[in-house]
Amino acid sequence: MKALEIKNLSIVLSGKEILKDINLSLEEGKFLGIVGPNGSGKTTFLKSILGLIKPLAGMVRVLGKSSEECLSEGVFGYVPQHLNLDINFPARAIDVVTMGLYGRLGFFRWPSKKDKEKASEYIALIGMSGHENFPFGEMSGGEQQRISIARALASNPKILILDEPSTGIDVVGQEDFYHLLKGFQMRLGLTIIMVSHDIGAVTAYVDEIACLNKILYYHGAPLGALDENVLGRLYGKNVDILIHSDVCDKCERLRK
Amino acid sequence: MEILSYGFMQRAVVTGMAISILAGVVSVFVVLRRVSFVGSGISHAAFGGVAIGFLAGVNPVITAMIYSILVAFGIEKISSKGRVAEDTAIGVFFSSSMALGIVLISLSKSYNVDLFGYLFGSILAISESEMWLTITVTIVILAAIMMIMKELLFTTFNEELAIVSGIPTRLIKSLFLLSMAVAIVISIKVVGIILVSALLVIPGAVAQLLSRSFYPMLLISCSVALFSTIAGLYLSYQFDLSPGGTIVLISTALFFAAVLRARK
Repeated sequence: MKALEIKNLSIVLSGKEILKDINLSLEEGKFLGIVGPNGSGKTTFLKSILGLIKPLAGMVRVLGKSSEECLSEGVFGYVPQHLNLDINFPARAIDVVTMGLYGRLGFFRWPSKKDKEKASEYIALIGMSGHENFPFGEMSGGEQQRISIARALASNPKILILDEPSTGIDVVGQEDFYHLLKGFQMRLGLTIIMVSHDIGAVTAYVDEIACLNKILYYHGAPLGALDENVLGRLYGKNVDILIHSDVCDKCERLRK
Repeated sequence: MEILSYGFMQRAVVTGMAISILAGVVSVFVVLRRVSFVGSGISHAAFGGVAIGFLAGVNPVITAMIYSILVAFGIEKISSKGRVAEDTAIGVFFSSSMALGIVLISLSKSYNVDLFGYLFGSILAISESEMWLTITVTIVILAAIMMIMKELLFTTFNEELAIVSGIPTRLIKSLFLLSMAVAIVISIKVVGIILVSALLVIPGAVAQLLSRSFYPMLLISCSVALFSTIAGLYLSYQFDLSPGGTIVLISTALFFAAVLRARK
């Protein structure tokens, strides 16, 4: 089945055209990377899939249903770029992960011991065991991102949507991080849609890539996106293109 | 304990305790949702509602409650579109409702002493029926908040995430706004319109300084409200002070103590 089917999607926010005539479809179980410069409408694109922003024109179908239907069924796991959270917000890591279960529990029902255990399992899955009782607001950006992913996974989603998840994670950590995501895709059969700045790293892990800057410049196999023509049109002419290879040029240079 | 042998004092203590628990719970969300100024706006707007009650010869608590709920949703409606900032909307409703109250009171000719009870609180003059009304309203509102508590916490944590998890955030926010408006009006009897927002901000503020997770915060907030009310009533009786003012000053002292402790 198609995880995502978007036809002629256009979005205007406060009179400004953000996305124009986007057509894209994605098979279930695929890992899609979305790249594009700042202000290119990547976050808006994700939010329109999530049903958080209404399109001016066009259609978004997720697993054959409307975004609204998917919201009430808890189809999505969403990891936003920023939480804008007060550092003093009274929640520990385990509390935040447990929130992922709230939508399914219903009014008046509180997470049971079993739910908490499940939350702990997800914390272990993302390699953060032992951090359960740490105040979430005091964690580093990278730790918060990982806990956010555990929360998103705890809701047992069919589609995981991540907005710049590697912000706040150092370069070495990023490799591990993408590896982790790839593992979830394989093990849990998840469809993953991820916005990222990091074209090089993304191409190594995703199945498909979409290059977005108000319009969709490219959608297909990741290596095709590295074509100078595509990147030049997407980011403008003044772009240096660095291709990731098995041997890191920069590390080699530093070693010498 | 001879102080408790007076009927008016027994009613004051029971009513004060009920309101303290309610204010303690609501206060946690007022602080976390950063809506303390909304609370202040609603309480001052209640003055307009009280005046309508005086003029119409209806129980002012009832008119104040209806009026405050309308104002609460009015503020939310006008500011939600983003054209008017929330604090601007509050500023407009706040002062215009006070103005409406002043005009209506001046129309009623007879100068009403009772009015001071609403402005500065009149916990020692609470009748038995008012006490039962307070207890009933407290139970209903607490039950409503308990029902939506985890959803409200999630919505407060991050509204978009709550929507994506299938939580009806609009309903949750409206229920909280309604609960807050009712809690404010019912608390007016204790400390008065002018001081009621303190009761809805300070316990939560103290609790946030002293706790790192939600349930301890809830517990500390209710304890601060209860302690302030009971100690305030006792001291005001012993030294012949205004009970409302004393209650607020004690909770303020606890706030500064918590600030000092949290800095360590």
